[in-house]
Amino acid sequence: MSAAMENAIEVTGLRTHYGQREILKGISISIPRGKTSVILGGSGCGKSTLLKHLIGLLRPTEGKIAINGRDIAAMDEEELNGVRRKMGVLFQGAALLNSLTVAENVALPIREHARLNESTVMIMVRMKLDLVGLSGFENFYPSQLSGGMKKRAGLARAIALDPELLFFDEPSAGLDPVTAAGLDDLILKLRNVFGMTIVVVTHELPSVFTIADYVIMLDAGEVIFSGILDDLRNSQNERVRMFLERRPETRTYSPDDYFRFIVGD
Amino acid sequence: MKIDITEHNGAKVFSLSGDIDLYSSPALRKELIFFIGKKVPLLLVDFRDVSYIDSSGIATLVEGLRGMMSHGGKLKLFGIPERIVEIFAFSKLDKVFDICGSLDDAVKD
Repeated sequence: MSAAMENAIEVTGLRTHYGQREILKGISISIPRGKTSVILGGSGCGKSTLLKHLIGLLRPTEGKIAINGRDIAAMDEEELNGVRRKMGVLFQGAALLNSLTVAENVALPIREHARLNESTVMIMVRMKLDLVGLSGFENFYPSQLSGGMKKRAGLARAIALDPELLFFDEPSAGLDPVTAAGLDDLILKLRNVFGMTIVVVTHELPSVFTIADYVIMLDAGEVIFSGILDDLRNSQNERVRMFLERRPETRTYSPDDYFRFIVGD
Repeated sequence: MKIDITEHNGAKVFSLSGDIDLYSSPALRKELIFFIGKKVPLLLVDFRDVSYIDSSGIATLVEGLRGMMSHGGKLKLFGIPERIVEIFAFSKLDKVFDICGSLDDAVKD
């Protein structure tokens, strides 16, 4: 396998804006195949924006996002859909369709992408629901589920098509510690058994130290660290240390800057 | 995926090769349903040349097992590569299916 193909994703010079504001400042990262990579950083660092680019939901201002060697930033919608079939995504709020039952939500990508007999689809759905601990909840609607259950139902849908690439946006957000640990355990198993390439965007440190093989840390739209966990622990980068040691940011404005800010100049 | 169907001591043997996935599972299902309809007593699935199986393939085999059981027949799997056994185990199906090491083991009762 060539060095490039050892990485499932290669991002080069990714620059993106919301309006005039630059969010990602020309970043380059690699996501190793068959490993769990965690994209870490504080609120507003650009990590969720990066995730949206990796799954082709946003188009960059500049730069390349190569998935299995092919630049998705240059693809049309049809080509992108072909790549998306190999991806599963668990969004922050699970993004279940409220008018469909749990089983119908999980069956959605299967029915969309494959022509299988209905009884095969339903066996697949029940297998995925069992995997995430939701056996017996097929006919429930999302409004009847707790936050943790919604997340697990979202995960069952994300893995419905046995994706090569699985993305999680803040998987532990809003979950109690036991449910969050259960989700981490499932992430580890999916990597070990299916060899999935997993990308997790989070700021939860306990989860990072449990699941990560590889860590990418962003700060203010720039990559300030990429490497394995041991290197993260030993990093002497001040911003990395602040994050790991949970030190608050003390921002100092000059009186002139503060004045300009409050008068809106 | 390719399916070769032969007979061995009165059992039907499905020798599968390649990937059993979303695209090939329907063909496997069709063959299984055909022989279940004929109420064959023993159906053996040879996994030695299977490179990959996804959930649709596993679900298809579950349907096959259910169909065989409905007339008192048996469905056994043999020669499953270690990596694929792990997938069956993860899906808790390693105890549901009768998984044998070799064809000879599979034809023994």
